[in-house]
Amino acid sequence: MDITLIVALVIVLALFFDFTNGFHDTANAMATPIATGALKPKVAVAIAAVLNLVGAFLSTEVAKTISGGLIREGESGIQITPVMIFAGLIGAIVWNMVTWLLGLPSSSSHALFGGLIGATIVGAGFGAIDGGVLLSKIVLPALLAPAIAAVVAFTATKIALAIARGSESTTGSFRYGQIFTSSLVSLAHGTNDAQKTMGVITLTLVAAGFQAGGTGPEFWVIAVCALAIALGTYMGGWRIIRTLGAGITDVSPPQGFAAEASTTATILASSHLGFALSTTQVASGSVIGAGLGKDRQAVRWKVAGRIAIAWLITLPAAALMAAAAELIARIGPIGIAIDAAIGLGVIVFIFLRSRHNKVDASNVTDLIPVVPDDPSALSGTVEKTEKAL
Amino acid sequence: MIDWGSFGTVALASIVSASLLVTLYALGARLIANQGDFLPRTKRIVGIGCFALCAALVLYGIYLIVPALHG
Repeated sequence: MDITLIVALVIVLALFFDFTNGFHDTANAMATPIATGALKPKVAVAIAAVLNLVGAFLSTEVAKTISGGLIREGESGIQITPVMIFAGLIGAIVWNMVTWLLGLPSSSSHALFGGLIGATIVGAGFGAIDGGVLLSKIVLPALLAPAIAAVVAFTATKIALAIARGSESTTGSFRYGQIFTSSLVSLAHGTNDAQKTMGVITLTLVAAGFQAGGTGPEFWVIAVCALAIALGTYMGGWRIIRTLGAGITDVSPPQGFAAEASTTATILASSHLGFALSTTQVASGSVIGAGLGKDRQAVRWKVAGRIAIAWLITLPAAALMAAAAELIARIGPIGIAIDAAIGLGVIVFIFLRSRHNKVDASNVTDLIPVVPDDPSALSGTVEKTEKAL
Repeated sequence: MIDWGSFGTVALASIVSASLLVTLYALGARLIANQGDFLPRTKRIVGIGCFALCAALVLYGIYLIVPALHG
């Protein structure tokens, strides 16, 4: 297949992944301020979008490897081909769409790494994966991130509630404070997450010989990645916002402020003291901790359990789908066309499916119905509803 | 395999900084909270001082986020 065509396809897919990354992660910063009424939903996503856009231009530290060392890339290792990246992106995008439909805050980075790993295993065998790095960079941090965030938010919530006790008029201040902390989370997100897509595109361009090795991303790459993530963020990902803001626990302004402060502190500490943690997992842990800090009964463990399951299966699920895509892609140009068609079909299907029980700015703070797939919401269609996880 | 030292540092830094921010902000909110028409001068000054320290913490956060500021 013409190398220019496959590179173009990879760039389009990478940007679409960046877009899904944006709406998947709006909730990390904006779920609690929306839930407590600190920010109107539309205003919140607009602020998050602008800060993600700005953030993407602020940091020039682009990933040196696509996979962050998970795959043995480079001189002594294997050569990741643009076709593998293509298949990996399909797996990552499909998984991001599925979890969005189910309203689950799963890590976009894990989906991306999972997709690339799956495609690489099919393309180059299991030996291409560094199991030790997988355990120390993905599996264990996925357990530690929510735990540490929950402890921090639990403590912060106890403090906030203790100091504010008996003074109802502090509520407004706590609401106001959330605007600052959630903005910090958004900015930090922008400086991190758009980088991954810039890295993928740049390394693809290098692999295809369109760009000299060892050079940074072209300006147009930075610009389009920044725009894609900002646009995605502005779309809102309302389903995930609802899960995080209203599904896990009912967030009051002091709790919301404590949760956001904890998320900010934990993310900044993790990215500057050399122990990388997933923003999504930190944010979810903070909300759980904030719920526990008020009342142990206040956390809906069923929802929290679903989220935990989503974290555990994100990497293998994206890997499986990418592996299938890579198997098909190995047929040749026809395989790649089949992959693209299936991927597009799945995206369109999920989008149409999401319209049956639409979540948007108008109903995002409503409580989650007890039965998520309420048959009456389907208004008489005969379509079978998948059981949510 | 897991760098427990840096994990411990991250945990400690997170808990201290989040608690500090929340304590200062909650105190500030409590002190300037409207308790009738009259707000004693000291309460107002200490309350505003708390908020100023919070603002400093937020600025430090921005400093950490923007690579150009800290090299």
